[in-house]
Amino acid sequence: MPSPVIEVRDLDKRFDRTLALQGVELTIDRGEIVVLLGLSGSGKSTLLRHLDGLETPTSGSVRVLGEEVPRLRGRRLRALRGRVGFVFQQFELVPSLTVLENVLTGSLARLRGPRLGLWSYPRRLKLAALGHLDRVGLLDRAYQRADTLSGGQQQRVAIARALMQEPEILLADEPVASLDPESSEQVMALIREIAMDAGLTVVCSLHQVDLALAWGDRIVGLRGGRLVLDTPTEGLGKAEVMEIYGRVATATAELEAIETELADASSEASPERAEPLAEGAGR
Amino acid sequence: MTALAPAPHAATAASVAERAPKHRPSPERIAAGLTLAALVVASLFALNSLGISLPSMLESWSNAERFFTRVGSISFPEPLELVQLTALTLGIVVTGTLFAAICSVPIAYLAASNTTPGPGWRAAARFITVFTRALPDVVLAMVFVLLFSLGSLPGILAIGIHSIGMISKLFADAIEQIDEGPRRAVRAAGGSKLQEFTSGILPQVLPSWVATVLHRNDINLRGSVVLGYVGVAGLGLEMSHAFKSLNYSLGLGVAIVMFALCVLMEIISSAVRRAMLHGGRASGGPLAATTVEAAARRPWTGSRVRTTVWGWVTAALLIGAIAVCNIQWGDLVTVWAKIPPVAAQFWPPSFGAYDWTRMSGAMLETIAIALAAAVLTLLASIVIGSFAARNVAPNPGTRAGARFLLVGIRGVPEVILAIVLIVITGLGAQAGTLALAFGGIGLAGKLIADSLEEVKGGPERAITATGASRFQRYAAATLPQGAPAIIGHSFYLLDTNIRAATILGIVGGGGIGYYLLNAGQGSNYGVVTAIVLMILVTVLAVEGLAMWMRRVFR
Repeated sequence: MPSPVIEVRDLDKRFDRTLALQGVELTIDRGEIVVLLGLSGSGKSTLLRHLDGLETPTSGSVRVLGEEVPRLRGRRLRALRGRVGFVFQQFELVPSLTVLENVLTGSLARLRGPRLGLWSYPRRLKLAALGHLDRVGLLDRAYQRADTLSGGQQQRVAIARALMQEPEILLADEPVASLDPESSEQVMALIREIAMDAGLTVVCSLHQVDLALAWGDRIVGLRGGRLVLDTPTEGLGKAEVMEIYGRVATATAELEAIETELADASSEASPERAEPLAEGAGR
Repeated sequence: MTALAPAPHAATAASVAERAPKHRPSPERIAAGLTLAALVVASLFALNSLGISLPSMLESWSNAERFFTRVGSISFPEPLELVQLTALTLGIVVTGTLFAAICSVPIAYLAASNTTPGPGWRAAARFITVFTRALPDVVLAMVFVLLFSLGSLPGILAIGIHSIGMISKLFADAIEQIDEGPRRAVRAAGGSKLQEFTSGILPQVLPSWVATVLHRNDINLRGSVVLGYVGVAGLGLEMSHAFKSLNYSLGLGVAIVMFALCVLMEIISSAVRRAMLHGGRASGGPLAATTVEAAARRPWTGSRVRTTVWGWVTAALLIGAIAVCNIQWGDLVTVWAKIPPVAAQFWPPSFGAYDWTRMSGAMLETIAIALAAAVLTLLASIVIGSFAARNVAPNPGTRAGARFLLVGIRGVPEVILAIVLIVITGLGAQAGTLALAFGGIGLAGKLIADSLEEVKGGPERAITATGASRFQRYAAATLPQGAPAIIGHSFYLLDTNIRAATILGIVGGGGIGYYLLNAGQGSNYGVVTAIVLMILVTVLAVEGLAMWMRRVFR
C-alpha cells in the first residue's frame, strides 16, 4: 500500500496582484516519478518551491513527508529541507569553490555551524561526496573550480550535491532548460537512474511535452496557476497526447486572448467552466 | 511675387518660435543648478581669499630655496631605530585595518538589503557606517591617547574604528551584488542562516572584500603620519617631534621614508589585487585517481601550492603585525573604569577662550581650502583625464602617457606632501591647498577618464559625420554625455577634501584643525567636543549635498 509523501490541498499563492497558484490539489506517493508540465509562468516553479518551504502559501495546505510545511520554522524546517533535494535550472553552484566543496554543502543540514574550506568537513563526508561525484561520473573533476565545468557537468555536480543530502524526495526545477540537447539527455537519464536505484520520489518541472512523455511516469499539467491535467504516461493514445499539447503547451498570449473571450462569454455561468479550450486545440 | 516671397517665410519663423515648447526644467533641477553655480562662485572666492595665485607660488618657490640653503642636508634616524619605527607604524596600521575588517563583517551583513534581518537593524548598521566615517581618526586617537596613555592601542583603535565606515559600506555593497542562486541552494539543502552566509555568500564576496581591505590599508598608512601629531607612536610621532624641535633635516628624512613606504605598500597591494583577479581562475586538470579512496588525497598542483604558501605568508605577516604592536591586552580590561572620568572632561562642549566668530571663521577657512583644492583639481583632471580617455586622446601614446601620469600622482600621499610643502614654503593654508589639489588629480583624473570612455559612441560618430572637428566633437558629444558623472565625481572629491582639510590644520595647513590640535594639547576637551561637532555637521552636510547632487544629475 503506497503512502503519500506529498499532499497539497487547495493551495493558493498570490504575489501582489497576480495569482500564481489557484486551488492546486496534488497527491504524490512514495517512489513516483512525476513531471510538472507547463509553460513559463504557469506556476510550476512556485509549486515546487512550496514543497521545500521556500515559499509560504497564501492559503491551503502543503504536507511533505508527514509535515505541514508552512507551519515549520527554524531547525525543523531546515531538517525537512535536508530530507528534500532540490536541483535548480541555473545549477546554483558557488563558482569560486571546488566541485567537491560544492557537493559537500549538501551535507550542511546535518552539520552544526558554518563551514568554509575542505578541511572544515569530516573525512567521512568527504568520502561520501567523492562517492556521489563518482556516481555522476565526475570524480576526476573533484578539485577543480566549479566554474571551469560545462553546463551539463555543473548540473551533474548539483545533482551530486542533492544526493549528499541523502534525500527521500528530489525536486528539480527545469533542470535541463539551460543545457544543450546532448547534455539534457544525459542529465535526465541520470536523474531517472538514480531515482530508480534509491527508490526516490521525484517531482521535476519541464516545459517540453515530448520530453515529459518519454521521461515521466505521471504528468501533472499546470496553466495559469491551475492544475489542468493529471495522467499516467503509460498507454497514452495519440489523441490524448494531442490533448496534452493543447491543454498545456499553447502560447501564453494566445491563451490570454482566448481566456478573456471565454470569461466574457461565460460571465453568467459558473467560474469553473472558464477552464477548457482543450477540445478546440485537440481536434 | 518677389515682394511677397519673404512674407510667408517670416510668418513661419515667428510661428515656429511661438509653437516651440518652452524649456522648463523641474524645480529640483533648478535648485541643484543654482547650488552648483553658487559652489563654483564660492570656490573662486576661496581661491582668492587663500591668496592662491601665480605670484604667490613663485614666492613660495623662493621660500623653498631659502629653506634648503638654511637646512643643508637631509638626515635619517639610526638604522636600528628606523627599522623599529617602520615596523611599529606598519604594525599599527595593519592591525587597525584588520580590526576594522573583522568588525565590518557583521555590520555589513546587517546593512546589506538582501541579508539584513529587518529595517531597524539596517538603520542601526547604516548609522554606524556613516558615523564612524565622519568621525576623524585624529580625534579618535586624541581620545584614546588619554584613555590608554602609552602603547600602540590608541593608534590601532583610532584607525580601526574610523575605517569601519568605509569598509563596512563597501562590504555591504559587495553582498548586495552577489548571485542569490548559490545562497538559495544552501537554504534549499537545509542550511542555517550562518551556513548560508559562509557557504553561499562569503566565497562570492571574498575577492572584493580583500581588495577593499588592501585599499583601506593604503589609505590608513598614508593617514597614519598625522596620528603621530597627537601622540600615536611610530614614524609620525618621530616626524612631529623633529619638526617641533626645529630639526628640519631629520623631519624631512622621516617624511621621505614615509613617502617611500606608502609607494611601496601601494605597489604591493595593487600586485596582490591583480594576482587575485587573474590568478584566481587557475585550476588543475582532471584527477588521475580512479577510486574514491585515492581521490580523497588532494594532489599538490601548482595552484594549490601557491594558494597554501601565500595563505601562510599572509597569516605570518598578520601575526607579525600584531606581535610588533606589543599590545597591552590588560588595558582593554582596565580602560572601562577610565571612560567615565575622561568622558566627563569632554562634556559639555564649549568654545573656551575662543568665540563663535573665530571658530566659524576657522571652519569656513577649512571649507575654503576644500573648495579651492577641489576646483584646482577639477581643472587639471578634466584636461589630463580627457587626454587619458581612449575616445578623446589624439593617439594611443598620449593616452598611455596621461594614464601613467595619473597613476604616478595617485601614488603620492598628499598629507605627507602637504607637510613637506608647508614646512619648506612656510605658507600654511596655501601650501595645504596645493598639496590637496595635487593629490586629488590622481583619482579624479582616472574617474573622469573612465567616465568619458563609457559614453555612447554613436553621438560621437554622428557629430564626426557632420564634418565637425575633433575638438568640436569632444565639446558637442563626449563632454555633455560625461557631465553627470563628472558632477558626481566632483562632489565625491569635495566630500573627501572636507575630511582631509580638517586634518591639514593639524599639520599646520590652516583652518579648524589647528584649533583642534591646540585644544587637545591644552587639555581643553570641551573645545575639542565643540570642534568635532562642527566638523561632523559640516561633513554630514557635504555628504548629504553630494548624495542629492548625484541623484539629481544622474
